[in-house]
Amino acid sequence: MTSTDALILDLSADLAPVQRRSVLREAAVLVALAVVELILIVGAGAMRPDMGQVILSPFMLWKMGSLVLLAGVTCTIAVRSFAPPASSRRGLMLALALAILAIVGWVFVTLGADSGRSLLERLSPVHGMLCATAITVLAMPLMAALAILMRRAAPVRPRESALACGLAAATCGALIFTACCPMNDPLYIAVWYSLGVAAVAIMARWLLPRRFRL
Amino acid sequence: MPARPRHSSDHSSPAVQTGEWGTLMATAQEGHGGAYQRLLTELSDWLVRYFQRRLPVGDVDDAVQETLLAIHRRRHTYDPRLPFGPWLAAIAKRKWIDQLRSMGRQQSEELPADIPVGDHEAAVMSATVLASLLDELRPAQVQAITMVKLQGYSVEDVVRVTGLSASAVKMNIHRGLARLTDILEKTDDLD
Repeated sequence: MTSTDALILDLSADLAPVQRRSVLREAAVLVALAVVELILIVGAGAMRPDMGQVILSPFMLWKMGSLVLLAGVTCTIAVRSFAPPASSRRGLMLALALAILAIVGWVFVTLGADSGRSLLERLSPVHGMLCATAITVLAMPLMAALAILMRRAAPVRPRESALACGLAAATCGALIFTACCPMNDPLYIAVWYSLGVAAVAIMARWLLPRRFRL
Repeated sequence: MPARPRHSSDHSSPAVQTGEWGTLMATAQEGHGGAYQRLLTELSDWLVRYFQRRLPVGDVDDAVQETLLAIHRRRHTYDPRLPFGPWLAAIAKRKWIDQLRSMGRQQSEELPADIPVGDHEAAVMSATVLASLLDELRPAQVQAITMVKLQGYSVEDVVRVTGLSASAVKMNIHRGLARLTDILEKTDDLD
């Protein structure tokens, strides 16, 4: 008997039934986690005070709509990439195109609204750093959940899956953060939200594939 | 226990096989050990042929067993509504890439001159697969990988032949193998 024969006998002996992976179950976990974070933010009184007035404004509708779309697309890409033979490469390109469209859209929605302010005032670097940090912090629980899901599944392109996980967690974090963020300038959003999302994506791309073994 | 007979599956097409393998895997997911043993036995034959065309003969058994273990650990990710072939091929390809990476990490030691058996690894490599992959590399990388990783020469031998420094040869091997794995990761073809 060869060592491969022995291995097959070992693997097939006392075989236990397995629960098949469910994409819907995994998506539900992510949605539940995001909802819990949102509830905690609202419960802590961190929601922007004028949310009732601005929520139906074109800017806020476009900002939240774009982030809902991006979060949905990136989460789908990430979860789908966890099982062979799915590849997330085209999905990541689609997400990038959507992000660019969203940023361009924001510019048109609020065209001329902040034209009287200087670039430094519009970027507000101190507040911007806090925004990027908050997005990163809010993305962490989702990134941890995605990392667990990824390790329990079988991504055959772990680097791409890790990047998709990072983008999914970051866009969800950014979406949750819109409940608190008082800034309405598209330039500010484009710069600092992108920075927060990029930081999480780079972190995920670096951390998640480490020690991963199919 | 006597050695199990090998099922010869050379005569049946992969498409026919993978349809049956999908059913066997679905049954195995429900805990049927007999179906699972049959499936793994047939898969191991397929995997041996798959890796024989892609890896040095000394690495084939390791790659087959690693792939069988991966299939076992990740069997819950197979969706019986989808074809089994692409699922299997994607895992096998991942393991091929991992094996190439580990070749890159292995230290290449010079063999003693009086070793009784010649090195036949290069002879069993698939000419078409390997040639098409190596075509993507720089000539210096191809020469270093071919001599050190496939033909068993030492880095010093390559230094003497090429006139490059030892660190340049090692860098060519490292970068060449990294480039090969990148190429494989970016291709969507599923055998």
